[in-house]
Amino acid sequence: MSQAAPRKTDIGPPQYEKFLPPIVKKNYGKWLYHEILKPGVMVHVAESGDKLFTVRAGSPRLISIMTIRKFCDFADKYCSGFLRFTSRNNVEFLLTDQTKIDPLIADLKAVGFPVGGLGNSISNIVHTQGWVHCHSSATDASGIVKSVMDDLIEYFTGMKLPGKLRIALACCLNMCGAVHCSDIAILGVHRRPPKVQHDNLKKLCEIPTLISSCPTGAIRTAMVDGKESVEIEEDLCMYCANCYTVCPATALNDPLNDGISIWVGGKVSNARHEPMFSKLAIPYIPNNPPRWPEVVSAVRNLVEIWAKDARKYERMGEWINRIGWPRFFKKAGIEFTKYHIDDFKFAGTTYKKSVHLKY
Amino acid sequence: MPQIELAGEMFDVDEDGFIQDPDRWNEEVAKSLAAGEGISEVTDEHWKVINYLRDYYLKFGIAPMVRRLCKETGCNLKRIYELFPSGPAKGACKLAGLPKPTGCV
Repeated sequence: MSQAAPRKTDIGPPQYEKFLPPIVKKNYGKWLYHEILKPGVMVHVAESGDKLFTVRAGSPRLISIMTIRKFCDFADKYCSGFLRFTSRNNVEFLLTDQTKIDPLIADLKAVGFPVGGLGNSISNIVHTQGWVHCHSSATDASGIVKSVMDDLIEYFTGMKLPGKLRIALACCLNMCGAVHCSDIAILGVHRRPPKVQHDNLKKLCEIPTLISSCPTGAIRTAMVDGKESVEIEEDLCMYCANCYTVCPATALNDPLNDGISIWVGGKVSNARHEPMFSKLAIPYIPNNPPRWPEVVSAVRNLVEIWAKDARKYERMGEWINRIGWPRFFKKAGIEFTKYHIDDFKFAGTTYKKSVHLKY
Repeated sequence: MPQIELAGEMFDVDEDGFIQDPDRWNEEVAKSLAAGEGISEVTDEHWKVINYLRDYYLKFGIAPMVRRLCKETGCNLKRIYELFPSGPAKGACKLAGLPKPTGCV
């Protein structure tokens, strides 16, 4: 058989050492301590006495090649062409000359990139594709992120919170990213069962895969108008859209009923308390583009009640564990509904099994 | 929906070139799809893979797992890629007339 012309493959990513600034290469693994000098600026001091200054700026994550070139220009101008991106998609410039920090910040601000996100602040929002690129989204990602960060910008550029507060967003409950383990999580949800296209289903889908994709067993085979298809037991459906992921003929996007849920109290670090999942706070807020004002005010409310009430270093989840969920709902002014009570498989472990309760 | 001519007949295909009606598949269709997948000649080894996929799909209603495909045809994954440069899903399944693979591909 014939082969296409030999192509280069399996070469992996470029070795990261190629892109390390000389000062990092020199002091690799030999850092003594670091300090946050001011919001968005920190210094790492090495055993050799070398100092590395980092300036962290927010980025919208979805950026054009022109923006990348702009970042490159700044890197050329201030830090011999070196920069990095953080795991929350902020951009960091690594400087050796302390006097260049303020001009760099001024340059970044002039083109609209705020400096901050370090220490006890609200750093960037980890988010997903939304209506920009994904077929299974129940809400938008970039739009909500922009609206929420516009409102909370003082917390990005400042460090006045008791501890770290991580916000994440996922536009459907595939939960790409970190919504299941964030202090505040914004999650797109559906509220209607799929509409099955019986004519196309057999052509487009593998029916056994479709049936086994359902976490509640709501899908079963059926003959509809002489065609192999499926029926959905609507009482069992909780609108997760997993069936749509595997089968294009079971769409359930619905502009009127799709919306957003808000979850709180997750974390991934092991500091003080072990990692926690985030839990449901607000079951549903309608989609309201382009500014999602209800989502923005709900998130701000959660940030503010936590910031006012939490002890130093206390994360959202640790704070709620201390005061208890009933008091959290009371303080946050969120109505507790039947939707908050877990009813999936081994839900019993989440029920109250003691008389320790605040009225 | 776009249409293309395969083996002298018009077929509905999606944007990735998967035929939309698995029932209309035949060997001539597979041969005409092969050109688009970087396969100049459909050999016996190709047919072994295609026929296995086809039979498995007709029997069970799904495409087989890759492990199963390799075990039953005796071609390891490397060989499958040599036969079908775009891989078992985009290459072999397309030629066998199976529905397009779904999920977070």
